[in-house]
Amino acid sequence: MTGERVLMVEITRLEAAHLAGLITQFADLLDDTASAGDDPAIARLVPDAYIDDADSAREFRALTERDLLARRRSDAAMVLTTLRDPAEITDDPQDPGLLETVEIALDRDGVQAWLRTLAAVRLVLADRLGIDTAEDHDDEDPRFGIYDWLGYRLHGLISAIDDHA
Amino acid sequence: MSPLAVPAVDEEQSLREGVDPERSWQTVVWDDPVNLMSYVTHVFREYFGYGREKAERLMLAVHNDGRAVVAEGAREQMELHVQAMHGYGLSATVRRAPR
Repeated sequence: MTGERVLMVEITRLEAAHLAGLITQFADLLDDTASAGDDPAIARLVPDAYIDDADSAREFRALTERDLLARRRSDAAMVLTTLRDPAEITDDPQDPGLLETVEIALDRDGVQAWLRTLAAVRLVLADRLGIDTAEDHDDEDPRFGIYDWLGYRLHGLISAIDDHA
Repeated sequence: MSPLAVPAVDEEQSLREGVDPERSWQTVVWDDPVNLMSYVTHVFREYFGYGREKAERLMLAVHNDGRAVVAEGAREQMELHVQAMHGYGLSATVRRAPR
């Protein structure tokens, strides 16, 4: 019997609150989008599976889109659950507690939900920001800062898993 | 990564019967400007169970060539793979293996 591996993520309360806010927006977008055709960012999460075969692409979509988007919702919900306590902050922007570092324990499913959700939120942001090449970056636009921060967090999680393995 | 060799006798039989021997299908992962290289490598390791070296080689093929064949086999299996890739946020498609 081997125990469940647990990964500890260190995060400040302020960062956790920001992350929870972003993922809540992502979950709301998923809830408000009935079909991928209604929003290009959601469409990016369920791309065509066939390039030159519209019938097969349509059939594949009919079989998989609902499940894929449902999985996105449950992943986001799981991440938000792990962020609930760390993201609890007061309204006072001077509260020193904002910069307190807290630890989040993630089991295997939790880690995968975090990875998939961080990657998905980056895809949605990239669509909104019009990122078409890896060079597309506007240092003046704070949304790129959020995009980079999510990438930094995602990469950090992957490094931590690799160190564990 | 290569299809199983078909025994000569089967090949003759299918030719005799005029049946097109079953063609192999492929899962193709496409490059995109958003997904991190470390993430793509992780997905190949996590989902396909590939070793680090193979996963990194495939990730670099996606990055440098714009796409890479990451699995080959029956069509249904490739569709499952592509659905899984979409679940991770990677762009992936199913196609017949070129002859």
